[in-house]
Amino acid sequence: MASENISVLRLRNLLLVTVPPDPDDQTVSALQEQVLAAMARHECGGLVLDISTVETLDSFFARTIAETAQMVQLMGGRTVLAGMRASVAVTATQLGLTMGKALTALDVDRALDLLSAAPSGDNI
Amino acid sequence: MNEPCQGEFRIGSESDIVMARKVVRNAATALGFGLTDVTRIVTAASELTRNIYHYAGSGVMRWRSLSRDVRVGLELIFEDSGPGIPDVTKAMETGFSTGKGLGMGLPGTKRLMDEMTVQSQVGKGTTVKVRKWLRK
Repeated sequence: MASENISVLRLRNLLLVTVPPDPDDQTVSALQEQVLAAMARHECGGLVLDISTVETLDSFFARTIAETAQMVQLMGGRTVLAGMRASVAVTATQLGLTMGKALTALDVDRALDLLSAAPSGDNI
Repeated sequence: MNEPCQGEFRIGSESDIVMARKVVRNAATALGFGLTDVTRIVTAASELTRNIYHYAGSGVMRWRSLSRDVRVGLELIFEDSGPGIPDVTKAMETGFSTGKGLGMGLPGTKRLMDEMTVQSQVGKGTTVKVRKWLRK
């Protein structure tokens, strides 16, 4: 089965990725590759992952996000997870998931504020 | 809600993880579970389906509605003929992993559900049964 299309949008010096509601493992892995390629190509300072439509966040997805945030940081950028649903937050916490170096924000708007407030490359 | 509903879903490829999530989401929603419980159940199903795909290659998920007195619930059974788990007690400890996962799959899944039993025999396979009851 072909993985779903993901668009990596460049906004000024940031990348914005809208994660599809129910991505399969292939799509999640493809997302990581595309993000890293775009980071290198556009010399971006940060990544916003919009997960507001995501209904299921399991350990594979969480591990890939945490890894991606780590890789983005090694490339000098920061990652913000934006818009996690309450039901997903409850489930992720009970399952024991952590998002590593990813920052979080209530929505994309606040995520953009967060990334523009502090200089990129800081270890927050 | 009184007619029992049940079904079977074969797991054999990576895309079946997403399909299993859809099947379980529909079943849990039809039984009347709220959004947070549906998310818990679907996430548990995702973990257990992935375990089957990664460790056994293929298997089957069976689901059925439960009715005990006035209570309604959902039962999911994941069965495979894979390598089995040598030490089930150890596999239920947080942080224990044979390498492919984070070591939170089984204990994490147990926290999401109300009941969970794991039966496994090395060389024969593994059966994981989970249940969630509807809060009134």
